[in-house]
Amino acid sequence: MAASVFWYLREFARFEWVQKFLFAKTAPLMTPAHFRGFPEPTGKPCMHALYCMMVCPAPGAIEVIHREDGWVPRIQKGHCIRCGLCVEACPNGVLTSGRVLETVGEQMTSLVFSFRIAIDRDRCMGCGNCCTACPVNKIADAQMGSGGHSSNDDVIMRVQGGDVQVLHEEKCTGCKTCEQSCPNDAIRIARILEATQQPVPVPAELTEDGQ
Amino acid sequence: MTLLQRIKDLVRSRSIHVSYVDVGSCNGCDIEILACLAPRYDIEQYGIYVHNNPREADVLLVVGAFTLGWEEKLKMVWDKIPEPKAAIAIGNCPISGGVFDRRGSYVDPPVSKHIPIAAEVPGCPPRPTEILSAILSIRDTVFAGWEVKQR
Repeated sequence: MAASVFWYLREFARFEWVQKFLFAKTAPLMTPAHFRGFPEPTGKPCMHALYCMMVCPAPGAIEVIHREDGWVPRIQKGHCIRCGLCVEACPNGVLTSGRVLETVGEQMTSLVFSFRIAIDRDRCMGCGNCCTACPVNKIADAQMGSGGHSSNDDVIMRVQGGDVQVLHEEKCTGCKTCEQSCPNDAIRIARILEATQQPVPVPAELTEDGQ
Repeated sequence: MTLLQRIKDLVRSRSIHVSYVDVGSCNGCDIEILACLAPRYDIEQYGIYVHNNPREADVLLVVGAFTLGWEEKLKMVWDKIPEPKAAIAIGNCPISGGVFDRRGSYVDPPVSKHIPIAAEVPGCPPRPTEILSAILSIRDTVFAGWEVKQR
């Protein structure tokens, strides 16, 4: 009996076994600094260009909110997929993540957005909800009433002859407010994102020095 | 805290059995959990064993955006795990629905609506190091002094 207990302890309660049980051989690996993490602010002021929100592929991952000291982009962990597109799209370099900013600087790449407005003629009832909900329309024609009629030619879209007519597709910022306000799922906004290696002009009011 | 309790805590925190359940993911996070088992990350040297048997498990890793077919089934899996137990949400999908949380999609995130979640690991997918450190971070808080807490 005593011998068997001795042999049992000798075989199984060895020092190496106890040490291996209590202490891991290596510490957990650390994430290298060049890995793309959640975007971090660089400290440069945000000029409210909203390119980050336009380019973001994940719903609800980034929003630009107003604080006392100006606009700041806020990343929602749990929504963000760490693609780094917001870092790449920002004209002012507000965010940083891994090596994205360095690579963009070296290779002189930039992103170009455009949006296509598709209206399903069979479903559109001409109620004008999309026209009145559109924030760009609101700036172009503050007088637009609930029917979505307008005599202004600067609006993105207006109701003409009982149907929505798109006039200025290029003004669309892709906020998709019209999609949410449409009672019939008749309007769809598609984003077209191109990566180019030519310098893309950024509107002066969206850059830091205003030039 | 008695000596016996301390020994229990020590041993319990060094042998964690993990079960994972995929409630409708794209398999990206599953592969990252699988990478934890590989020699590079080597989850077993921390005493974490992947068993995939809820009756033996201490930690449940929940992956995926919770499709509607899991409505009662995830609770069943959770109830089978003996106490003390903890669930960890791996990836964006159990936290927010991730890229699947769109109009017209048949998912019901977050998973914390259905079972209690002890830790959340954001990322699409999260890195194996992050999954590993999440499991290691709850082992002392959830499992320490379990018998004392029961009294």
